Order: sequence, then C-alpha cells, then structure tokens
Amino acid sequence: MIGMDEFVRRLPVYLLLDCSGSMMGERIEAVKQGIRSLITELKGDPQALETAYISVITFSSTAKQEAGLTELMLFKEPELKASGATMFGRALDVLMDCINTEVRKSTETQKGDWRPLVFVLTDGAPSDVNDFKRAAEQLKTMKIANIIACAAGADADTTYLKMMTENVLMMNSLSAGDLAQFFAWVSGSIKMTSKSLDTKPGEALELPPPPQGFQIVP
Amino acid sequence: MSKIAEAILMDGSKLPYVITDNPPRGGMKYTYFAPDKSYVIQFFNDPEIGMIPEIQDRISAIIGKYNPTLSEENGGARGNSQTLADYFSQRYCWPVAMVKYPEFGIVCPAYPSNYFFDSNSSIVEGLDLSGKDKKSNWFTSRNRKYLNKSELGNFMMMLKLSICLARAIRRMHSAGLAHSDLSNNNVLIDPKSGSCVVIDIDSLVVPGLYPPEVAGTRGYIAPEVLETMEYPRSDPRRCLPCIETDLHSMAVLIYEYLLLRHPLNGPKHIPNITPEEEDFLLMGPKAVFIEDPNDQSNRPQNLNITVHDLGPHLEQLFMQAFVDGLHSPKRRPQAMDWERGLIKTWDMLYPCENPNCREKWFVLHDIEHPVCPFCGKRVNSEIVKIKFKKELRGKSGQWMPSGELIAYNNYPLFSWHIYSNVFADEKADRDLCAYVVKHQGNWLLVNQKIKGMRSPSGNLVPPGQAVLLKNGTVFRLSDESNGQLAEIQIKG
Repeated sequence: MIGMDEFVRRLPVYLLLDCSGSMMGERIEAVKQGIRSLITELKGDPQALETAYISVITFSSTAKQEAGLTELMLFKEPELKASGATMFGRALDVLMDCINTEVRKSTETQKGDWRPLVFVLTDGAPSDVNDFKRAAEQLKTMKIANIIACAAGADADTTYLKMMTENVLMMNSLSAGDLAQFFAWVSGSIKMTSKSLDTKPGEALELPPPPQGFQIVP
Repeated sequence: MSKIAEAILMDGSKLPYVITDNPPRGGMKYTYFAPDKSYVIQFFNDPEIGMIPEIQDRISAIIGKYNPTLSEENGGARGNSQTLADYFSQRYCWPVAMVKYPEFGIVCPAYPSNYFFDSNSSIVEGLDLSGKDKKSNWFTSRNRKYLNKSELGNFMMMLKLSICLARAIRRMHSAGLAHSDLSNNNVLIDPKSGSCVVIDIDSLVVPGLYPPEVAGTRGYIAPEVLETMEYPRSDPRRCLPCIETDLHSMAVLIYEYLLLRHPLNGPKHIPNITPEEEDFLLMGPKAVFIEDPNDQSNRPQNLNITVHDLGPHLEQLFMQAFVDGLHSPKRRPQAMDWERGLIKTWDMLYPCENPNCREKWFVLHDIEHPVCPFCGKRVNSEIVKIKFKKELRGKSGQWMPSGELIAYNNYPLFSWHIYSNVFADEKADRDLCAYVVKHQGNWLLVNQKIKGMRSPSGNLVPPGQAVLLKNGTVFRLSDESNGQLAEIQIKG
C-alpha cells in the first residue's frame, strides 16, 4: 500500500568461518548444514526476515567474502571447502572492508543500518599472528560491530579471540551436534537482537544463554 | 533428537513433554511441546528467575484469582461465568498451571491451529512457513508479499481482530492487570477469520505484586519507558510497564492492523549519532506520529491513506493516542474507548463495489463523497444511513444522537442497535433482532424478534413484518424502556 521500505534499517550479519585444513571432512559439512538451518530458521521469523542481511567470509590460506551482504530470501549458500592455513588476520581486514562498503552509515540525509553482528567460528589460532593482532586491535577500538567469537575444539586458542571482543564462547568438541547447536544459538541471537533492541543504546549486547557444553570465556 | 520427559506440577500431577534440541526461545523463556501439542511447558532461560518467590506468587495469582479464562466456580476470576470464561479462553493463551520439577515452569494451552501457518501459506519458493506462528508483523510489514492472498484477509477482518484485541485488553485492564509486553510477537493474528490471541501472559503486572522484568519489545515500548530507562527501578521518575504503557502498545498494533504501517516510523532523521541512539530518540523522547497535524517532520511523502479515512471515531482515537497522549500517558484513550470506537466504526463498514479491490471493505464516513480509499472506486448504489437516538433519562420525548450505521442489503441489527443500554461487548446477546433488505426496489427494515417496534405512524410492527425505509423516515425501534429511535437517510 505504502512504500515504507526506505525506513527499514537492516541488521547486517557477518559469519566469519575458519575453513583451514583442520576443518576438512565431517566438520566443514556440519558447518554447511549449520548455515542452511540458520537461514531456514531466520526466514521463519518475520522480524529477522525483514531486517537481517547475511554475508559469509571464510579464511584458510587466504581470506575472502564468499557471499556479499544479502537479504535472506536471496541468500545463496556458498561452496565451502576446507584446506590450508588460518589467515585469520586477513579475514578481519576483509571484514572491516566489507563493513565499510556494505553497511549503510547514518548521514545528514540517510538513516543508517543497525550495528553489524559478527559471529566468528575457529578451531585453531591465526597463522598470521602480527596481522591478526593489528586488525583485532583496530576492530576492538573502532567498535564498528558486535562481535561474538566461538572457539571450537581443544586446539582453539581463546586468548586471540579475547583480543578482538569481550564475547568469547568455547565449545569442547567440533562434533556435528555441537556445530548444529552453535548455529541454532546464532539464529537465536540474531532473532533476539532484531526483536528487542530495547536496552539503552551503548549497553552490553543481550544474547541468549549459550547451549549446554558451551562455556563463556571470562 | 527428541525425548519425552515428565514434568511434575505443583499439585503433584504429572505431564509429559518433548525435549527438543533447539526449543523456541524468547527473551525470558523457552518452550517445549506436549507429545500431542495440546499444551506447552515453558522454562525460564535463567532458572534462578523462576526460583524467586515473588515471581511464583505473581504467576500463581495470574493462574488463579485473576484468571478470566476460568469460571469463578473453577477457581478463576471473581464473577466470571462459564460463558465468559469460554469466550476469553479464545482471546488469551492464559497459563493454567505451574511446574515444580525438573525446575520451575509454566503450563499454557497451545493456541488454536488457525494461528499457525500451513504449507500453502507462503507463495515463494524457499520459504516454508508451515507450523510457524502467525505473528502480527507477517501481515503488517513487507513480509505480506510472501504470503498467499488467502492468508491476508481484508480490511473488515483487520477491524474485527482489532475489536478482539481491544476487548481482551479492556478485560485485563478492568481487573487492574497490565500485559506489559504487547507486541507483534505477543499478539498472534489470523486475518483470514478476523481473530487474535494474546500470548505471553505470565509477565503481567499484577496490582501489589512484584513487577515483571521486561521493558517491552522494540517499536511497542511507550516513549516514557524508554526515556526513563536510565533511572534505577526504584527511582520514582522511572516509568515501568503499566496499563498506560499497554495503551500505547495496543494503539500501535491497531494502527498497524488497519493501515499496515508503523505510526512512529517515518522519515524523521537525526544525523551524527549511531542508529541505535537515533532509534532510541525516535521511539522515545523525540517520537512524532507520522500523521501529526502540527509537526510534519516525520510525515512520509506518499501518505495516501490516513486516519481520516478510518472515520471520525478512529481518527479521534488515534489523534488522542499519538498526538495528545504520545508523551502524556494519562491522555491516552482507554481500552474501553478503543472497543467502543472500533465497534462504531464497524457499523460504518461498506462493501467496495470494485470486485478487484484488495481490501473489499472500507469505512463509509462521508456519504457526500462515498469513495473507497483503498482503490478509489466511488459507490454507485443507494446508501442507507440509520441514525440512532436515545431518550434522555428522565426527560420523556427528548432525544439525543447515540450512533449511526450504514446499511446495505441483508444488513443485520442486533440488540445494541435497538436498546441504548446494551453495549456490544462479550456479554451482549448476539441473536438477530432485525435486518435491512432491499425488496422490489424498496428498502425495508424487517422485524425479527423485537417487542414494541413502531411504524412511523405509531402502529405496532410485530416480528415478521417490516417498516418501509424512506429518506426522512423516523420511527421507534422499540417502545420498551431504552428502546431507540431510528432516523433514515437515503442518498444516491
């Protein structure tokens, strides 16, 4: 009836996924399945369907944006393959570039998008430690996104994750079941954020309690 | 993977439920279903909250002495009859019991199946909605375009479910209860049948008991609640959810149902702050109604259909809610005012003559310019208006206007049209009293069961007989006490 589309703020959601060699096989398949369920789950929520836009950034020996920020109905699942090193620092640079170009900023004449939500999943430590430290520091000080980082499995190093965000989770295994739970929790967090942005601006991000077997890293 | 578990209720009885991996989760609670889906069991995200005695006391009061879905006989609200309990059971998903094991929880009935989508509800590939709740904003946002037309109902159905909502909230408020989180998520609507159900009843504000934790949902929180969030809960300046804040949330929902847009979401923009801060200001201290006649700063350019097109009753109520009362909670219309205004507007509904009109019905509030605002079609048929008058108390023979309706062929009249002391609420008798019909070119009002209907010349018109309606005809609908006078206007 009335074109109100221009007043809808988008909620940009970036998934930063570790696709290094250690993720090969069952793990990467579980990640793909997780993305599929995440999209299906979000499409079933009217608020998320209207506001959430999704992008996938992967990192292995390189880092790249597999899928640009896309509305849920048009989102195409990226082809994910696991191999190589863990260029995590590069991935943070790609993330900052993407946020810079894709997220609409508030200007004199235009309303801006919501602050992006970034979910990071890694099972190791960065191969490019110096780049990582610089980029993590930059991300943390610029406060351009709400970042939730999840360390998966025994080899994941949470000290690096703590450099980029206060919100760090740890899951003990990388089983298909745990990964499914992780993505379900991501969907819950997105729905919650798109629903009840009701705390005063600047207050800590409200997230649902993590699934069983996940610990919040203090 | 799912498995069956058993909950033990406070009275010791046991109820099975299905534990699923990723249960639906709200801000406060998560939900498991019964094996046959006839009820749900909800636990708190934070189990500690469920352990607070004050919270258990509140929920116990909600389930018992404040429960309008149980008759007084069965432990429900005082004065509640079984008929009323049955009516309100359809309006709310009211908690029925408390769980003590494995932890504190609540049992609620499942909502009826018409509040779930089915596999035909979505018309786009890749969007399977079967089994999803019909949250309001599926219908009032751009998501409409994904839905099968048969799900969307029409303007009449949206008005009908708005009446249902106003009535449900009026019933709560009249008992002193406030819902505290009315929103697109907590009112499920079925535009197909024109009905709604209010859910998430356990966070009600109950007089004298510990208040709930929630502030509300974005877009529905009253401006004063946002504005005073910086103060501690005990600070007298802090505005917490209450009946007055419900009245804001409900007005937002009704506006969305009838006009398919949010009343505060316009082009107004405050640069140089974050979107989060901006949104806080635009929904809180700096909120402006998009149709505010005195402040155009938030008015969209292409506002083709406005509250004026909803007729005088709703126009006045929306102005009161979003202009006078937006930042002055005490000036907001009560739920009872909404219920009355919506019902008066219902009596002005007219079927659009354009067979392709999206909304099928509109409010014919100006018979000099009878045009459907949704499609622009002008009415060609004769329009019959009945103006009601009621006798001033203690002043026999003195009459004052008490309402009007726009009739069309086979238009039904009910007891609240005939008698000035009957209100069309859940208690009113819904038997047909009379109807307007066009017969061989003449408009007739046929008496179905009214005692004491009088023709314009004063003769008794018994059931089965009719009064001929002409422009200017005046007659008594009933000469019994509180019987109204009808004055006919025919245009066209």
